[in-house]
Amino acid sequence: MSLRDALNSGKFVVTAEVGPAKGTDIKKILHESELLKGKVDALNVTDNQSAVMRISSVSFCKLLLEMGHEPILQMTCRDRNRIGLQSDLLGASILGIKNVLCMTGDHPNAGDHKEAKPVYDIESVQLLQIVAGLNAGKDMMGNELKGATDFYQGAVVTPESNPIEPQLMKFEKKIAAGANFFQTQAIYDIDKFKDFMSYARQFPVKILAGLVLLKSAGMANFMNKFVPGITVPQNLIDELKAAGKEKALDAGIDIMARHIRQLKDEKICDGVHIMAIGAEDKVPEIMERAGLL
Amino acid sequence: MIITKKRDFKALLENIADYKSFFLVGCSECASLCGTGGEPELAALKIALEAEGKTVTGTMLPKTGCQTLGTKIELKKDKDACAAADAIIVMSCGAGTQSAVEIFPDKPVFPSNDTLFLGNMTRFQMFDERCSLCGECILDKTGGICPVTACPKGLLNGPCGGTNEGKCEVSPDIECAWVRIYNRMKKTNRLEDFKKTLSPKNWSASRKPATLNTRGEKEEVKK
Repeated sequence: MSLRDALNSGKFVVTAEVGPAKGTDIKKILHESELLKGKVDALNVTDNQSAVMRISSVSFCKLLLEMGHEPILQMTCRDRNRIGLQSDLLGASILGIKNVLCMTGDHPNAGDHKEAKPVYDIESVQLLQIVAGLNAGKDMMGNELKGATDFYQGAVVTPESNPIEPQLMKFEKKIAAGANFFQTQAIYDIDKFKDFMSYARQFPVKILAGLVLLKSAGMANFMNKFVPGITVPQNLIDELKAAGKEKALDAGIDIMARHIRQLKDEKICDGVHIMAIGAEDKVPEIMERAGLL
Repeated sequence: MIITKKRDFKALLENIADYKSFFLVGCSECASLCGTGGEPELAALKIALEAEGKTVTGTMLPKTGCQTLGTKIELKKDKDACAAADAIIVMSCGAGTQSAVEIFPDKPVFPSNDTLFLGNMTRFQMFDERCSLCGECILDKTGGICPVTACPKGLLNGPCGGTNEGKCEVSPDIECAWVRIYNRMKKTNRLEDFKKTLSPKNWSASRKPATLNTRGEKEEVKK
């Protein structure tokens, strides 16, 4: 089933993500993708994530399609100008890719090519507008296309950003620009997330709560300190600490499974987006413990 | 004003290794304010070059180094000193350096500075980049703060997901331009403008190189 149909059917949708390899050896990522087959509703393919140069997201999405996956093409504005973006979107469309997640993209400063000239010719809101235009059969200059695209458009939002008001105003701009679904930045405080959802529910968009697997108390502390928009509450850090070094990952899996269960049982949002970050092989176990398999 | 910084003296020496005598040209405007090409810097470079066994045939501080014709006229009084020099060293921005290139068609011209950005002097010899010369001002739509310049991604429609506690994802030393814009628009009751989606920027307005003629009846930027 397509992601669009899955979300529209009212099913509690699960997406996960894979990061293409840095190099042509794709055995590991193919194996991880294989493990997730038939388990998740769709699989995000990151686009040079953290501004680290890797295999193109379009190519890897095509491989996922061939494997029978429902891929979500992540597309950032960092590396291509408006001509390149539209060209790649048309290219993705003829390959059968139906879902596109429009993002600004991390600054090259974060990645492994710090001296690169960042593009940002356009940005996430405008990219969503452009995709809506391509779906309507026009490029962004209004030129008629020979054949339109049919993308299901996604975007991202950071519900715990501080200050939140400008972030929410941008969220509304993204909806006006044509976003159909959102995958959020990682959330750990479900009560806080409920506040965001009670605001977001006034809009006709689907929201997938972003969940990042905690692998240790150290990782949680690191994220609190260095990852913008992510706050891991102290009680979860204590839980990871109490589990001890060897059982920390297991505790992290428990925490995520518990959160998924609550989000689903209380019908807080439309699904979850699991970011296992290097532990993609654990996703089936997380889903099993969450009662999804 | 145009912000410059002094190049490493060793790098300058390598550039001018083949030449013996020099005429030095500064600039009374930006480079003087930056401390890279005023009277004291001309004197200091003269001493430093002489300490390396070079000859300085003369120094001169034009009113505005980038005003090519004016600088050419001002340099007339130094005709002999210029003629005696193997090469010219210009202590201004790249525009002033290229005035000298035009004025001295037969002599090598070397810059002693790197040209950094168009900036505001916030305190004595402290500079902030505020304008990117993009050719089409959007300050009317962004609360008077330029996100094209102040946001490392040049975003036009609000903060990216990387902003944290009002700081930029690129560096905690940078205030998030869009949080600043939001705060200012809120204070000045202009949040309705914040909600408007801005279209992609027309970069053809900043295409290089540009020329502008304001002498005729019709002012036109040519690209």
